[in-house]
Amino acid sequence: MDQFLQHIVNALVLGSTYALLGIGLTLIFGIMRVVNFAHGELYAFGAYVSYALVSLLGLNYFGSVLLAGMLGLLLGAAIEFLLLRRCKLENIDEVMLIMIGLMIIMQNAELLLWGGVAKVVPTPFAQESITIGGIYLSPTRLFVFCAAVVLLIAFYLIIERSRLGLAMRATFQDRDAAKIVGVNVGSIYTLTFALGSCMAAVTGALLAPVFVVAPTMGDLASLKAFAIVILGGLGNIPGAALGGFALAAIEEFGSGYISTAYRDALGFLAILIVMVIRPQGLFAIKERVG
Amino acid sequence: MLKLEDVTVHYGATVAVDKVSLQVEEGEFVTLIGSNGAGKSSTLRAISGLEPVVSGRITFEGAPITNGKPQHIIERGIAHCPEGRRVFPHLSVRENLEMGAYRRKDRQAIRDDVERMFDRFPRLRERTAQPAGTLSGGEQQMLAIARALMSRPRLIMFDEPSLGLAPNFVEQVFELVTEIRAGGTTVLMVEQNAYAALELCDRSYLLETGNVVLQGSAQEMRENPDIRKAYLGG
Repeated sequence: MDQFLQHIVNALVLGSTYALLGIGLTLIFGIMRVVNFAHGELYAFGAYVSYALVSLLGLNYFGSVLLAGMLGLLLGAAIEFLLLRRCKLENIDEVMLIMIGLMIIMQNAELLLWGGVAKVVPTPFAQESITIGGIYLSPTRLFVFCAAVVLLIAFYLIIERSRLGLAMRATFQDRDAAKIVGVNVGSIYTLTFALGSCMAAVTGALLAPVFVVAPTMGDLASLKAFAIVILGGLGNIPGAALGGFALAAIEEFGSGYISTAYRDALGFLAILIVMVIRPQGLFAIKERVG
Repeated sequence: MLKLEDVTVHYGATVAVDKVSLQVEEGEFVTLIGSNGAGKSSTLRAISGLEPVVSGRITFEGAPITNGKPQHIIERGIAHCPEGRRVFPHLSVRENLEMGAYRRKDRQAIRDDVERMFDRFPRLRERTAQPAGTLSGGEQQMLAIARALMSRPRLIMFDEPSLGLAPNFVEQVFELVTEIRAGGTTVLMVEQNAYAALELCDRSYLLETGNVVLQGSAQEMRENPDIRKAYLGG
């Protein structure tokens, strides 16, 4: 029983960060129809920002997460403004190539700047785990979980309650009608990409002390983000949040009860099964944002 | 008030609107009639800034608005009620109305206007929180019109407002358009139903394959033998 509860706690912690990673990607796809292959690189970008600030400049971890989010926001806006705005988003092939190119550039830039050796970001928390009724949880992971939940709620409020969120949802549902009522669709796209990128960068920075920081980390993050988004239904924000927790649960219980070696493989196997049985996603009722 | 001079719009490789000139005076009710694909919708879309104008000039109240951004066109006081209603299907009825006032900053006045729309369209009030996509076609058209009014336009453009509606709704929609005009808003309406259009409007333009082939007062148009034969069923 203890082991079962331990897996649940682990899945919740991991799932909250998967959810953060997934909603950023699904937001960008849902509103812009851009398949963002560079999403994982923005996650890596956040982790490296945290590394640079904490390990090299001596800033504290919390400040580094905040700054990584802000820089992610700016980088996302720059990518949309400098690259995506210049091409027609309807040309899916062209956009995909651009995003793949960006992914390669970003990954190699990390390699060039920081080298291939994995970096460790020190945690500001105590190393000893907290024990409650036989369940172990490190304070770092507890913080990551709390921060992720706060960010998920903030994101939900932006999308569902703010004027910007309303305009984003309207743009997704009918781009021409949004233009007709006076939405500046171009700036909605910039803000969407910026917000999605910010989520990825924050996730990377949050997790920097939990995992190691290496140039290849973006690859796996991208793959997982896509898996989460597919699980939840493309463009479905609550679906992506639930998909994040679902993928974490599959990985956690799979590695706990089947084999640790197949941890990632089990997650992707689940995606394959979902794509065959329910290609619209586990939680998709209708394709929608919000 | 609104003036188009030799406006040309391309749709892919084809010419959708070919050097169209037309004029709408303040307080007037003008219709564009003609068959499917005559360039009526493209003309409205060009005015709204949704389609690029290849050549020609559009002016509104003397100011050039050719190839203006849609958000600036609506700020000048031109609202567009598009073909096929195009309400936001997953937004609630209230959110759809709020989106209509997207460029306005006067929050309190927007809230009052939403209430006014609900007074005017009691069926929408009953469905305030419902996603617009769950409304009937007629209700969606009411919502689309109400959304366009939310920007407090001085010129409102309707694109086939009666299309695909049940007969009793068609009548209601046309009554509504007449009311809006009577309230002092200038109306430019695209309508395939030439019979209804010429019953309601002051002046009309007949478009064929992107060209204005005939124009005149509603009465002149109704009495024109070519129009009678081709569009009014003899």
